[in-house]
Amino acid sequence: MTTMDRVPVTVLTGFLESGKVTLLNRVLSENHSKRIAVIENEFGEVGVVHQLVIVAEEEIVETNNGRICCTGRSDLLRILEQLLKRRDKFDYIIETTRMADSSPVAQTFFLDDNFKQQFLLDATVTLVDARYIEKHFDKMTEAGEQVAFVDVIRLNKTDPVGEAELERVARQVRAINGTARIFRTQNANVSIDCVLDVGASDLQRTLAVDGSFLGPQYPLEWAGVYQLAVGQHTLRTGAEAQAHHHHEHGPGCSHDHSYEHKRGDNHDDHGDARDKSLGFVVLTVAAATQQTLAAAIEPPVRAFAGEAVTVARGGSLKVAPAQQPIDVNHKGNHFVVDVAAVGTYANFCEHAPAEFNLRTEGAKPIVQRAFTSHPHDEEISSIDISDLRSLETQKRNDWLSNLLKSRGTDIFRMKGVISLEGEARRCVFHGVHMILDGQLEQLWAAGATWRNTLVFIGRNLDREKLEAGLHSCLA
Amino acid sequence: MSRVKTPNAILVLRGELKLDDYIVDIAWSTDTMRLAVAGGEGKVFLVKRSESALGAREIGQHGMGTLAVAWRPGSSAFASSGQDSRITLFDAEGALVAQQRPSMNWTTALAWSPDGRRLATATGKQISLWASSLVVEHTFAPLASTVTALGWDKPGRDLAAAMNGGLVVHRVEPPRFQLRHYKWSAPCLTAAFSPSSRFLATGTQDGTVHFWYLSTGRDSQMRGYPGRVDGMSWSGDSRYLATAAHEQIVLWDFGDKGPEGSRPLQLRGHTDRIECLAFQPGGNYLVTGGRDWRLSLWLPGKTTTALDAQLTAAEPTCLRWSPDGRFVAAGERNGRLSIYELVRIF
Repeated sequence: MTTMDRVPVTVLTGFLESGKVTLLNRVLSENHSKRIAVIENEFGEVGVVHQLVIVAEEEIVETNNGRICCTGRSDLLRILEQLLKRRDKFDYIIETTRMADSSPVAQTFFLDDNFKQQFLLDATVTLVDARYIEKHFDKMTEAGEQVAFVDVIRLNKTDPVGEAELERVARQVRAINGTARIFRTQNANVSIDCVLDVGASDLQRTLAVDGSFLGPQYPLEWAGVYQLAVGQHTLRTGAEAQAHHHHEHGPGCSHDHSYEHKRGDNHDDHGDARDKSLGFVVLTVAAATQQTLAAAIEPPVRAFAGEAVTVARGGSLKVAPAQQPIDVNHKGNHFVVDVAAVGTYANFCEHAPAEFNLRTEGAKPIVQRAFTSHPHDEEISSIDISDLRSLETQKRNDWLSNLLKSRGTDIFRMKGVISLEGEARRCVFHGVHMILDGQLEQLWAAGATWRNTLVFIGRNLDREKLEAGLHSCLA
Repeated sequence: MSRVKTPNAILVLRGELKLDDYIVDIAWSTDTMRLAVAGGEGKVFLVKRSESALGAREIGQHGMGTLAVAWRPGSSAFASSGQDSRITLFDAEGALVAQQRPSMNWTTALAWSPDGRRLATATGKQISLWASSLVVEHTFAPLASTVTALGWDKPGRDLAAAMNGGLVVHRVEPPRFQLRHYKWSAPCLTAAFSPSSRFLATGTQDGTVHFWYLSTGRDSQMRGYPGRVDGMSWSGDSRYLATAAHEQIVLWDFGDKGPEGSRPLQLRGHTDRIECLAFQPGGNYLVTGGRDWRLSLWLPGKTTTALDAQLTAAEPTCLRWSPDGRFVAAGERNGRLSIYELVRIF
């Protein structure tokens, strides 16, 4: 059975109940010819009069079939079975779940061969409140997982969140989940395109919409260009300078004023305990433009790869393509940069300066840019690997099967498009934890490059090992 | 020279009609002249059988879907339940006698005690016992998870319920109601006592069959199913427990020492997944219905090939023997109901 015959299922998840209900009602009441069955977990979620609404109390069960552990929802199993009996009465299913971690819902569709054939998990959609999620990203717990599991993120902006903060949150979200489509919403108002026919289970379709996440990752998160006069310039970090706190505003400013003040007291807590030093490079650049900044990226990237001695409090920083990590351990530090000639200088920073209240006294960045950084250990991240050569079916099966059994707990989602030797159709697969579903889909498009692309979203992912695994499957 | 005669029997079509709903469940009256039929969209039908024909009337509705029908043994009344939580009692002419609505949860299972004195129902996590006119007799404390199936033992003393985490058996001796847990950490989908009352078996979501020796409480597990085990049936002599693994029938032999360490009897004939199966009450003929649109008749232990096969018009969804073991009612996905008579050739 091809994808075309399976019923697409959209799962709505997220902390905010009202956001889900608004979206759900909007989808149901909009004038379209789509027949939708709704599974809700509380009476009254669906405000509009709707024919096919089923209410379920969410019940999690664990099954263990041949060492593959799967967590699913038994209530959903029963409902889906009943829905299959009236298969001709609806075209879509929308399921709402209270849980932030939507993996039990996703895995339920893989629990049963019959379900795999009849249903297609089209997309998991979550509503994220920008203000709320940022607080929780620091702890990298539920909020990170909520974001990691989904395919579509509705990033909701409510006052007093500013554009800059929204941008920051979007970047953090993307660092965790590179494959999710992010829709900016205000007051949860968004089109139904983010809910129905999303096609998120097909990685190729996701790439067709936005392949930018497959871009490079950098060892740094921020760079800014300053116009500096000759002489000594002071860099400050931490809470010490709170009384003299001035905010760096500029044309490309990426922080929000209110945000800075809110976080003012917690600077010591920023980053992890191991972030006692902040990677730093200072270079001259030709001009204060985005293009120049982009062109100047290579030397600092190389420099960040090298070992370096941390510059202690009060120490001096050289203008050179060399790593000079600065000590950010104390409540407040300062460092000195000697500028020999007036001109434009770029600071390249391992993390966003705002995390350490890092600023240059008397100067504001004229242009600045944020980068998608390499994931740290223990953080949730997305890793994509690819290869142009075909894979051998059995080797692929063995590799993926072993990988999921051994690392299934840490791998939240996996999506891929694969070319198999001797097979003209694309193999599309996606997985949640230990559960994997693969289908041979339509033929590769005429003229298209047959390419294996896999994306993993999880914790403690090792890119080298994943790439080695993929290479071991080559035909 | 003696010739051993191979047992032979066939299914003869005795009537059919098309109902306006997907058939989910069927219940025979004791005199075999009537059937109650549950429709997946919510309809309840009363079907009357005569020598030559079947006639049906729609008599009730369970909003969203009817889930179960059960005929009261030795009587002309029958009950239905559905996704609207309602339990409805009808008389022999299909007139509504009584109705209850335990909660907002689905009432997924109905089971009359063998003597017809009480009706057990499962609504979400709650099991209730009703006297014959739907007056509540006893409501059990809610269980830890939703009940998926109910089954009485032959004497009508023990009521087994399947749920996530095992089975729960209530001993029904009013005013005493004792509870015993049979734990198994998997979502359990069925609960079936052997007619001998020696064994209690369940099929699970993760592809195993689990059973207990009721005299000792010892349990055993049979693995190897490719998917969930949601259908099982005991032979009349308690010798075989029939289950299905895709297109194969898998029968565990409980004769002698029990099935542990043995290979099951596997019968092949269907070419697609088996959807429903049922042993003849008090007998040893087995019928199976598969996605290959085939209804097959077997006599496990005597022959390894099907004795007869009938083509259906759509996927069979439900098979029910009449209480006297003479007829089989088959329900199909498109609403077709057909009645077959078991005719022995020799």
